Amino acid sequence: MNRRTFLTTTAVGLVALASGVAQARSISGAVPWEAFAGEPPTPVTPGGWHFFQPREVVLMEAIVDRLIPADDLSPSGRDCGCVVYVDRQLAGSFGEAARLYMKGPFLPGLPTQGYQNSLTPAGRYRAGLAAFDKAVSDTFGGRFETLSPGKQDQALSELETGKLKLSGKVDGKGFFALVLENTMEGFFADPVHGGNRDMASWKMIGFPGARYDYRDWVDQHDKPYPRGPVSILGNIVQAKAG
Amino acid sequence: MKTLLSLALATSALASPATAADLQSFQVEKGHYQAILGDCAACHSKAGGKLYSGGEPLETPFGTLVPPNITPDRETGIGAWTKADFRNTMKNGVGKDGKHLYPAMPYPSYHLMPDEDVDDLWAYLQTVEPVHHAVEANQLPFPFNQRIVMRGWNWLNFEPEPFQPDEKQSAEWNRGAYLVQGPGHCGTCHTPKSALGADESDAALQGATLQGWYAPNITGQKRIGIGDWSKNQIVAYLKTGSNGHAIAAGPMVEAIQDSTSQMKDDDLQAIATYLLSVKADDEDGGGEQPKPLASDDSQMKAGAEIYRTSCAACHGMDGKGAEHLFPALAGSAAVQQDDVSTLIHVILAGAKGPYTKDRPTAPAMPSFAFHLSDEQVADVATYIRNDWGNAAPAVSADAVGDARGAD
Repeated sequence: MNRRTFLTTTAVGLVALASGVAQARSISGAVPWEAFAGEPPTPVTPGGWHFFQPREVVLMEAIVDRLIPADDLSPSGRDCGCVVYVDRQLAGSFGEAARLYMKGPFLPGLPTQGYQNSLTPAGRYRAGLAAFDKAVSDTFGGRFETLSPGKQDQALSELETGKLKLSGKVDGKGFFALVLENTMEGFFADPVHGGNRDMASWKMIGFPGARYDYRDWVDQHDKPYPRGPVSILGNIVQAKAG
Repeated sequence: MKTLLSLALATSALASPATAADLQSFQVEKGHYQAILGDCAACHSKAGGKLYSGGEPLETPFGTLVPPNITPDRETGIGAWTKADFRNTMKNGVGKDGKHLYPAMPYPSYHLMPDEDVDDLWAYLQTVEPVHHAVEANQLPFPFNQRIVMRGWNWLNFEPEPFQPDEKQSAEWNRGAYLVQGPGHCGTCHTPKSALGADESDAALQGATLQGWYAPNITGQKRIGIGDWSKNQIVAYLKTGSNGHAIAAGPMVEAIQDSTSQMKDDDLQAIATYLLSVKADDEDGGGEQPKPLASDDSQMKAGAEIYRTSCAACHGMDGKGAEHLFPALAGSAAVQQDDVSTLIHVILAGAKGPYTKDRPTAPAMPSFAFHLSDEQVADVATYIRNDWGNAAPAVSADAVGDARGAD
């Protein structure tokens, strides 16, 4: 018996002793069930801004329109509701970092350790957008939304690479990555969350959405699936439209 | 050695004359079976309550009645009753001290039971745990709360006669007829009622609506009855809750769990034989067969798309479902009934099949009330009533709205 086996068997034995006699019991009967039970998803409420201030909205809409410009493939990020999506996320538990450990100490970490700053996502957007707004004005001689598309791309690229420095405690590279990630979420997530309006991104990539029966298609290879996408809320959205 | 010993014990048991206690326990056992046949628990017990200590309120067209406590508790049950009181209740609808019962208590059916069976049931009920639980049974509004009105009702609607076997039919058929008309009181739900709440005897077992469910036609009618079922399929349905294609839902779930699944196989065979022999008014060919709606009908098109996204994963694009798990909609009588209460109810509220010893899975369908609008429920219901060879009139959104409002 080597040491590892010894330790394992001892541990198992101790656990068995601690739990005492096995209390085997057979349980039968129907699983509880309730009529009308259901947990419908709650769609975001349309209209208005829950987190962003007017100036931030202008800036965000200009940014997402460069990240996802309107073209042959899809409408623009703004028209797809990406800013609405980010706004509702920042106003909710994501914005306040409800699922992250947010107590100190806050020390610079390695890249593999992920985000180590004390700011919540809401705080990063507030500080980051203000700092970006100022840095662009100072460097490019005009507000971001007034710049030409080429200049806007240049400003965003410089933010992404770290060439454009932001004042305060916001890390520009990290901020750009956050905005890009959240914009893509808004673009591709189910419309229930406020973005992906009319399932534009799903139509673009041919994703059929929340369908769950493809048995007819299992053995039909190399053929595109012909049916349009369905949202989690698909039927509710239809009901409201109709 | 053990075998020898038990053999010896068995021999001595055979040899010794039955004691009074043996006879009594035999009677209690027989009475227990009568309680299963009569499904006393369906009304007199409720989920989470003690056996026979009183049931869920029954909403009748005349008002609310609450099935009383029938445990042997002296104050709140029937512990102070005599056997004669009990017989009079079961057979004449007249309880202790001459109190008239309402026919929600199916004495118009139970009166077919022989005295011996009623006495066995009485013996059994004496052995049930007494539960102190007062129930105010009569919650009807005036004038129906005046029990004396039942005298007139009985005079008009009730003839207490024993079961008359039909000599031209087999013993099995007669047993089935007795069980269906008598203790099984199938007609209490499945027979349409007159304005006075009495059975329309010339439409026996042709289907009726109660408490938001349509208890379907269970005659031998092919399209909307059970005429397409084999005898064994009827037996399987009653014994296990599923015959492979149809799975029970609604109030029938409890009837199967508490009553038919515990009946003897011979009795179930007898019931099936009898039911298949009952002919409905519009016998096949006699009544007009509806034509299926065209597949390019706007409701059909919308319904097919909803079916594809919301229903097909379980019930299949071919409407055949999955054996014992998801009921077949193709050819389903429940789907094609003229009265769409059950269909709408199942789509809105969901449904759960019976839990039985043979089929313990009790498959369930989720509620679509939050997911589909009235129009969408109407469209998808219309669609499943008119594809795969089904044919039945379209369902209107108003009917769905009414059902939703009532729940």
